[in-house]
Amino acid sequence: MARFFIRRLVLLVAVLFAVTFLGFSAMNFLGDPLFNVVGLMAELDCEAIEAGSAEDPSLDRARSDCETVAEARATYHLDRPVPVRYLLWVGDMFTGDFGTSFQNDQPVAEIIREKLPETLILLIMAQIVSLGVAIPWGVVAAYRANRAFDRGSTVASFGLLSIPNFALGVVLLYLLSLRWQIFPSAYESDSVVGLVFSMVLPAATLGLPLAASYQRLLRTDLITTLQEDFVHMARAKGLPPMRIMFRHALRPSLFSVVTVFGVSTGAMIGGSLVVEQIFGIPGIGREIVTAVVRDDFPVVLAIVMLVACTFVIINFVVDLFYSWLDPRVRAR
Amino acid sequence: MSGDGRPSRKGRASRQRLLRRFRVFRLVRSSKGPEPDGPGENEAVRRRLGVGFWLAVVWLVVMAFIALFAPMLPFADPTKVGYSGPREPPSAGAWFGTDALGRDVFSRTMHGARISLAVGGFAIVFGMVVGGALGILAGYFRGRLDQAVGFTFFVLLSFPALVLAILITATLERSLLVVSLTIGILAVAPVGLLARASTLVYAEREFVAAARVLGARNGRIIVRELLPNVVIPMGALTLLGMAVAVVAEGSLAFLGLSVAGDEAISWGKMIVDGAGLRDLQNATHVAMFPVAVMFVTVLALNFAGDRIRQYFDVKELAF
Repeated sequence: MARFFIRRLVLLVAVLFAVTFLGFSAMNFLGDPLFNVVGLMAELDCEAIEAGSAEDPSLDRARSDCETVAEARATYHLDRPVPVRYLLWVGDMFTGDFGTSFQNDQPVAEIIREKLPETLILLIMAQIVSLGVAIPWGVVAAYRANRAFDRGSTVASFGLLSIPNFALGVVLLYLLSLRWQIFPSAYESDSVVGLVFSMVLPAATLGLPLAASYQRLLRTDLITTLQEDFVHMARAKGLPPMRIMFRHALRPSLFSVVTVFGVSTGAMIGGSLVVEQIFGIPGIGREIVTAVVRDDFPVVLAIVMLVACTFVIINFVVDLFYSWLDPRVRAR
Repeated sequence: MSGDGRPSRKGRASRQRLLRRFRVFRLVRSSKGPEPDGPGENEAVRRRLGVGFWLAVVWLVVMAFIALFAPMLPFADPTKVGYSGPREPPSAGAWFGTDALGRDVFSRTMHGARISLAVGGFAIVFGMVVGGALGILAGYFRGRLDQAVGFTFFVLLSFPALVLAILITATLERSLLVVSLTIGILAVAPVGLLARASTLVYAEREFVAAARVLGARNGRIIVRELLPNVVIPMGALTLLGMAVAVVAEGSLAFLGLSVAGDEAISWGKMIVDGAGLRDLQNATHVAMFPVAVMFVTVLALNFAGDRIRQYFDVKELAF
């Protein structure tokens, strides 16, 4: 176990390095970093301006622009090579300095601290919705496998998996909050109850397609488990069916769900960008989209890094947890 | 699923009788048991594509035809503002009604198929060419190359898909090519892992050993022996991958990060245009028609893709 753990840990560090480096270089090579900082001023030919006649007043403006550019070069270390800049940037991240937003000079760390709770609440509620729907659904479908309910639920889960989540969000918003007015259509943060209530629809938008895929996995595993000898044994002892289902069969059937839990979290993070947009939730998903549109690169980079690193770490934990559940994984 | 570790036929029958006497057949219905892979995964059904498959194919062919020839077909001008009044309900003139600017929603929906399908198709082809090539090389040569490629795939999969797409589209100009390439890069790792896995299986087979004994070089073995076998499972998942790509493009467009410009009509963009609370309340058709067309298209891709996957007996893949 210890060796397995260390191997995984090395891989984790390597992946974190690769992910951050990839993200950082994407920002620096795909776009001109100087242009991102100072805009059109980056195109000034400063050497020619410096060389121009010192008395020429028409160059004063250009000279002050050049000073801004030089200043920006120094602040953002743009005069250093990319690997050095990367190390400086990672060092800053470790001390909690994520840079400052171009838009309003607010520290990015502060922005994230402000917006992260909303997104976390959304993600946790979505997982609750998906597991809360998927477990009973999968149990009933497996209990009555290949009967009408099971066939219907296969069709339903196929449909749910085919709706793009932004489309599902728009449909739910229309039906449940505009037409039947059960849920509020806008984000509320006045009270905890109001907050949770206004998050139900967004959480359902994220959670229902996930519930469909969990349900399919759980159903398949449960059907296999229900044919095991220990289930026959429990039946023969005369235990009630529901007790067998939940106490004996469910736990060993949850492996596949645990496996995809990590992957599905990534899909959900992606989905939350869209869902926050639809329901007007001021989380990091909305923040990153706004930042992209405004070319606010420190914010974009910080959020991408945060999300990618979280995702890597979640998968690492799921991996360890899974290998603890099923020792065969370690042999690989 | 049956066979290994199960009692003999006779033993199974007697056990079943025993079980039935204890009235447990509701939980453990028959010795054969229901198919765990879902209804219809068994051999007889697997070898028949079925009516649903052909319905899905017809829909996809019609959409592809419309996407290819939209400018030549007798649709209203999709970008013309004030074609009739704003937010008109569906009528004989404008089948899907008009949007907030009085543009014809039907015509826009049909034109929207162009970007969605072009991006989806390009992305999956890119994924198959790049991911397939890397996967086959990694699976065939193993060693260092395999480790490097495997690590690259692992890193690519470490970004939530939409977040990686945002990172790329944030820095580059959002043209059709950039968006297609972005979503193509997302397809590289899953397709590559599949290609690598099937290469590992086939590289051990006798016909590869035979070719090597006959003196075939690596290049020839890869192209003539491995490629035809690896292309089948990859091809069987094309439509499923395309469904994922179409949804990804839709999500980007919904966020306003897909192909830029008024000319570039896309379903995601149309849906976000109609998703404001006022439009949703008073002119539901503006959002709902593109939602419906997109849903049916993705459903058709998924359904036809799933039937093809079962037909070729390829395992499901987590994209």
